[in-house]
Amino acid sequence: MHRAPRRSLRLPKFALALPSWGYYVAFFLVPVVLIIFYSFGTKIPGSAGRTEFSPLTLDRYRDAIKPTFFVVLQQTMRISITGTLLCLIIGFPVAYFMAIRIPARWRGIFLGVLIIPFWTNFLIRTIAWRIVLSPVGFLSNWLQDIGMRDSNIQVLNTKAAVQLGVVYNYLPLMIFPLFVTLDRLEPALREASKDLGASRLKTFLQVTLPLCAPGVIAGLLLVFIPLSGDYITAAVLGGADGNMSGALVASQFLQAQNQALGSAIAVMLMGSILLVIAIVAIISFAFKAVLHRMRKVDIPGTRGDDLAVATNG
Amino acid sequence: MVRRRRIDTISLSLGAWAAIVLVFLYLPILFIVVHSFSDSNALTRWGGFTTDWYGKLFENQQLKDTITNSFKVALYSSPISVVFGGLAGVALARRPGSWTKGFLAVIFLILVTPEIVDAIGLQVWFVEVGGPFVQPSVPFMRSLFPIVVGHAIFSSAVVTLIVRARMAGLDDALEEAAADLYATPRRAFFQITLPLIFPALLAGGLLAFTFSLDNVVISQFTGRPGSSTFPLYVFGKVRSVLRPDLAAASTLILLATLVALGSVVFVLRRSGDSSSEIAATLTGGG
Repeated sequence: MHRAPRRSLRLPKFALALPSWGYYVAFFLVPVVLIIFYSFGTKIPGSAGRTEFSPLTLDRYRDAIKPTFFVVLQQTMRISITGTLLCLIIGFPVAYFMAIRIPARWRGIFLGVLIIPFWTNFLIRTIAWRIVLSPVGFLSNWLQDIGMRDSNIQVLNTKAAVQLGVVYNYLPLMIFPLFVTLDRLEPALREASKDLGASRLKTFLQVTLPLCAPGVIAGLLLVFIPLSGDYITAAVLGGADGNMSGALVASQFLQAQNQALGSAIAVMLMGSILLVIAIVAIISFAFKAVLHRMRKVDIPGTRGDDLAVATNG
Repeated sequence: MVRRRRIDTISLSLGAWAAIVLVFLYLPILFIVVHSFSDSNALTRWGGFTTDWYGKLFENQQLKDTITNSFKVALYSSPISVVFGGLAGVALARRPGSWTKGFLAVIFLILVTPEIVDAIGLQVWFVEVGGPFVQPSVPFMRSLFPIVVGHAIFSSAVVTLIVRARMAGLDDALEEAAADLYATPRRAFFQITLPLIFPALLAGGLLAFTFSLDNVVISQFTGRPGSSTFPLYVFGKVRSVLRPDLAAASTLILLATLVALGSVVFVLRRSGDSSSEIAATLTGGG
């Protein structure tokens, strides 16, 4: 109380965040607003990437929903949604095993082992799959040796390779938040459920699963968002078959020099990402409401924490 | 007894699944390391053991230049992320107010914006519109300036969250005690707050460093002639010929990353973090 005057600075509270504010306005907000603005422009014909803005037009969006581009956007969303769900299905048992089934002192080591691939160069580990999946490579030979296939594998440059690549690249981003949430669960809650006569399955479904919802949501966001914008994985593994919306944006900027169309596709990509997130949010909200009504006891911490975890990444 | 055996079955199958996933995660990395010793001109074909590629690494001028560029960009951009992100993280944790919501919204926006959108935005901003940054007044950065700036956006946002999470977990009693003992705010910051958040800054800095070393998209759009980075060089080769020298370079970078990662985990352990806290820190907040 008496120390209050000494502690109060003359600077405003956000003073320490000012450098970041300035930085984000100059190098993030302004550029993104510029892209939205550019999406209403028109390329000056014959120029090397000059754009005019009189009049402002919606024509680029009309171009962007033409089949050539729209098919790619649909494919992007399909690969992203499938990839995100696969990450959840593959990653959840791993996170559960790490956080709950193995002794605490082994957890750190296991975690370290999981983090190393994540910290390895993204492009390099994607290219590595070209070696693994090569039709004349080790895996192909081995599968033929053990008689599972009688010809070379032909996975490279297909959608399947892209799907495999994105699951591989983003799986750690699903496992980490799941592990953190599961690790913070009090074992007492599960024990109480058991003591009250719930079966193992019932405890998992009604106690563990609802409590790790924030982790699941964080994981879904952390995987889905970068995955939808990623076109590097597809470019490396998919060949001509692996076209993602991000690649269209890149080629409009780098090759076709049509900034306006590239911007419009980019805005549509962002819009699709937000749309998918909104749909999932609505579904999970409804699901939770139903679950909440079915459950007799309210467990603290299962509601309202999702956004906090999500923003914490 | 029956009950116990059932637990074991579940644990066993979960463990087997985890092992399969680990093999899946390590298989490509293993292949890269193995093929860096391959005596063949094509990366995808094994041609007997050799260590030649490691020697040839230092003869390829273009490869050397791009690796140097990559490390320079990472060295410039990670301190920017640490300083900006650190300050903002402290402000978020200790001086919350009406400004917090807006600021967090921007951070969230940065995290959810696909990289390609950032990249084209920066290209338009730097090249098309110009602005005050086209001729950088910072002489030693010159052509790397736009890339450095671009790389630090995402990682400074991540560092902000890491530092905020760390500060939120710390009692502010120490800082209050410092104030009670007549420490000036500046002194309290340097002698109390900074040492407390040092592990978070270190982890954040390393994260920013590897983000930068990894980055393809931002570099592709903000780069200028002569500023090509290692990932860009590799990406350019994907469609033509991939040779084992790329694997050799990657293996060396992997080794460097492992050493850095190991030391950060060591520091975090020394400061008393649990493995869960380390996971949260190393993966960006939580």
